Parts: sequence; C-alpha cells; structure tokens
Amino acid sequence: MTAPPETTVRPGAEGSVESPAPGRWRRSRVHLGPYLVPAAVVCALLCVYPLVQMGRMAFSDVGPANLIGEWTFSGTENIREVLGSDGFWEATRATGVFTAVLLVVDLTIGYVAAQALARRGRLSSIVLSLMVFVWALPPLVSGSVWKFLLAGDGAINAVLQLVGIGRVDWLSDPSLALWAVSGVAAWASLPFAILIIRGGLLSIPTEVLEAASIDGAGPIRRAVSVVLPLLRPTLMVLVILIVLYAFRSFDFVYVMTSGGPGTVTTTLPFLAYREAFTTYSFGTGGAIASLSMLAVVVLAIPYVLGVRKEEGQ
Amino acid sequence: MTNTRHSVGTRVVVVALGLTYLLPLLWIVLTSFKSDQEVRSSPNSILFSPSLGTFTDIVDAASSSVVTSAKIAVSVTVLVLALAVPAAYALGRRLTSRWSRASAWFLGIFLVLQMVPQPMAVIPLYGILADWGLVGSIYGLILADVALMAPFAIMLMRPFVLAIPKELYEAAEIDGASGLRTFRNIVVPLLPNGIATVGAIVFIITWGEFIYATTLMTDPANLPVSGLLAQQTSLYSVSWNRLMGLALLTSLPLLAVFVLAKKRLVEGLSVGSVK
Repeated sequence: MTAPPETTVRPGAEGSVESPAPGRWRRSRVHLGPYLVPAAVVCALLCVYPLVQMGRMAFSDVGPANLIGEWTFSGTENIREVLGSDGFWEATRATGVFTAVLLVVDLTIGYVAAQALARRGRLSSIVLSLMVFVWALPPLVSGSVWKFLLAGDGAINAVLQLVGIGRVDWLSDPSLALWAVSGVAAWASLPFAILIIRGGLLSIPTEVLEAASIDGAGPIRRAVSVVLPLLRPTLMVLVILIVLYAFRSFDFVYVMTSGGPGTVTTTLPFLAYREAFTTYSFGTGGAIASLSMLAVVVLAIPYVLGVRKEEGQ
Repeated sequence: MTNTRHSVGTRVVVVALGLTYLLPLLWIVLTSFKSDQEVRSSPNSILFSPSLGTFTDIVDAASSSVVTSAKIAVSVTVLVLALAVPAAYALGRRLTSRWSRASAWFLGIFLVLQMVPQPMAVIPLYGILADWGLVGSIYGLILADVALMAPFAIMLMRPFVLAIPKELYEAAEIDGASGLRTFRNIVVPLLPNGIATVGAIVFIITWGEFIYATTLMTDPANLPVSGLLAQQTSLYSVSWNRLMGLALLTSLPLLAVFVLAKKRLVEGLSVGSVK
C-alpha cells in the first residue's frame, strides 16, 4: 500500500485545554488561527475546489474543447449514461474482487506475519526492514518487476515448467489477470498492513497474555479470545484503509495490464481516469469519480466520527 | 509477547516472507546486468556474464529524470513541512474549548480530504491547473503534490505536537514570550523527530508518485522517474533489462533516504499511525 493516506493518525485522547477558566484565555496573547491559514488556503484551493469542480463536471457536458471555459449544464445525463453502461458495473465488480483479495491477504497473512515479526530478533528486524523498503519503492518499480516475473516467458513460468505444471498466462488470460494484479497489489500493501497489525499487537500488555496462559488458554484460544478482541479497533481501521486503497487502485493496473485483457482489470479509478484522459469525456469521468466519492464519504463517516470521538472533544 | 524466542514454525514464516520480498528485488538487480541479447535469448538465466551495457545505455535518461524528481521531491517536502508544522501546531494545542471544537472540525475535513482517490482527484485538478496555465510545468506538478500530501502530513505531524507538555507553553507565556517566539524557539526545536519522520515519508511518496506525474508533465524530455518508467512499460516491446536498470537507478536515492530514516519509518508507520 504505497498511498500515504493509509497512514492515518489516530492520536489518543489527550488532556484538557490549557486554560479551562473562561476568563483566562481571553488574556492569552497567543492566537492559533494564523498558523492554520496557509494550509487551509492551499487545501481550499487545491483539495476542496477540485472536489466542487468534480461534482459540477458530473452534471455538465465537458469535453476537451470546453474544459477551460464555459460548461453547459446537462442535468443527470452523465450519471444516467454511467449507470446504464456495462463498463461501470464491470468496473465495480472488478473493484470488488480487487478489494476482497486485498482484505483476505492483508488480514490473514498480515496477522500471521505480524505475530511472527512481533518477536524481537535479528531475523525479524532484517525482514521488517526489507518489507518497509519494498513499501517505499515506487509502485511502478514493483509493478514492473512483477510484470516481468509473470510474463509468458518470465521467471514464474520458467519455474512452473521446471516442476512440470506448465506455462500459465497470468496477465493475458481474462480469467486470471484480475487475480494476478490484485495479488501483486496485495503483496505491495502487505508490509503496511503488517506494520499496523504489529503495532496493535505490541501495544497488548504482556501480562494479559500471561494471565490467559496461566488460566490454561492455548495459543489458538489466546488468539481468539484475547488478542483479536483487543485488536478489533486496529483491524477496523485497517479494513477501512484497505477499501479506500482499492478506490485508488491505479498504478498496478496501469503498469501490468492497462485495464486488459479486454476490460477485465479495469477498476473504477482506472475507468474514471480513462474516460477523462483517453476519450476526453471529462463529464463521464467526473460522474464516475463523483459516484465513487459518495462511496468513500459513506466509508469516511464512521471513521471520522470514531477518530473525533477518540479526541474526546 | 515480545520476548519469546522464534520457534521453528515462526522462522519458516519469516524466512518465506522475506524471500517473497527479496527475490523480486534481486531479479531487478540481476536483469539490469544482462545484455540486450542475453535477455532476449534467455530472460531467466541466473548464470551469465554480467555486462554494464544496459547502464551505459540508460544512464543519461535515468540521471536527467532523477534530477527532475529530486527537484520535485525536495520542493514538495519543504513546502509541505512549511504548511504542516504550523498547522499541526495550531491543531495540536488546546488553548480554549472553542478552539478545540474548531480544530476537531478541521481535523475531520483533513481526514476526508486525504481519502479522496487520487486517480479521481486528478480529473478536476487537471482542468484547474490547465486554467492557470500550469499543465506541463514542474510548478503545476509541485502544487498538485503539495495539495496531495498536506492533509496527510498535518495528520501525521499532529501527535508529535500533542506530545509537547503544556507546562512549556504556560512557562513561555509567563515569561512573556510572544506567540511567534513560542512557536519558533520552543515548538519547532522540539519537533526534529516529527519533521524527519514526516519529511521522509513525504519525500518517499512524492518520489514514487505516478498519476499526477504522468498526467501533468507532458514533455517527454523532462519526465520525473515515474513518468520515465511508465513510458518504458507502455512501449510496444518492453526491453526488460533497460526497464529493470532504470528501476534500479531511479530507486537508489530512495535507498539512501530509507537507510537514513529506517527506524523512524518503522515507528512512524506503525506506532504513530494507530495508537
């Protein structure tokens, strides 16, 4: 998971305000507002304004000729066109499969690996560094090497032929390509998932686990009854972050398959991007993007409320 | 659970995991030492006579894109920190209950903004930057990257501000230090860890950023590293040794940042991200 926003900070609840007495703060000569102004202005212009434009685009007839200039209002035409097209629903399905693969891999392998890597030792720290380095690599670099490894005459097929299984067309077989690309994206996001889960595991007090052992709980019982319930908030955040990541699943699709063969690996972000920048139908692209944003906002609500509640305002 | 020794099963899991990440990296290095002919005749050979031919072919393209990316990543990191440190300070200090409520709202907004899918944000952003005449220029890309990273950097920086004990602020106020002096002489000097962590992460992500780079930089002679790699992969017949060589050369600066910031990255991404 290379995209940053996964690393959302959820600071713990902190203490009360500095000057609780209402009379006192008025005398404080410190004004915090000005420190926020530069960031707020930049975000208003380059984050919020684009969102407004995205919404307007969805209801306008925008092409390459009038992208800069007047947009004609076209009502719900773009939205109806998108919702009526097979491409949109196929892309929604592809995004669903992509998300599911990421969730399964990142949560199961992520949990097992985080358990193993939570123990201190040289081996753990070497493997952890290696994985964080791979996380830091540009997605284009890891996507390219996997495209090479999975190619018809690539290394994976060479090994498969050696053991007698024979060649598999990972990226050109329509029934396999989406799984292959999702698998590589899961591989790339796994280091991040492991770091998050490991962070959660390390915050569980050793005494709690010792107490469970003394009470006669075996390793599986301890995992199910003690560790997982304590880890639930961490895993919930991770689930939301993985789903959000799937909504920007672009780089690996672009490098490995360009949305093909046919359109089987065309996910929603890839479809929106292609509409806007290959066919220059900015209106349709904006409509797909706006519909996806709705899904993101629905996901964001419980998350934002959760974080704010934790802030203990 | 941190002091238990590795059991055999655990070791197997860890080693297998390590190999899954190590082998692709080795493959990049190995392939970039192959000649064009070697890659074409036997792409998967492990024993071959290494050649530096690939590197001499690509070094010019690679170095010019590394310079472009370095300009972009350094500018973006500096600008993002210049926005995020004061903003995180403003949102991390609880002066009054009214300010706390306001900052909770801002935090919610920044959280949502960092969730906007980038391949979708680029659609309206392209129009806006085109309107301002900034498409195709490095400045347009820098602006877009700053906007991409700023909300995230503020969220990541804030816990470091929260860790500053409020007694320090009170002492500063009693000493009669002005607001700006408190910020400059007390807050910023206490944040080297936060600045290094956030700076390293912003640099890394900007270096690998691809969607804005390939959409907003239109001049093929002036591509950042992601643009160059994308251009190579979209060629009709990919030359694997060149592609892997470029991947290797353009990742070397990241290796340097990684070595310097490794510990902070592991901590910043795990402990700092989900408390």
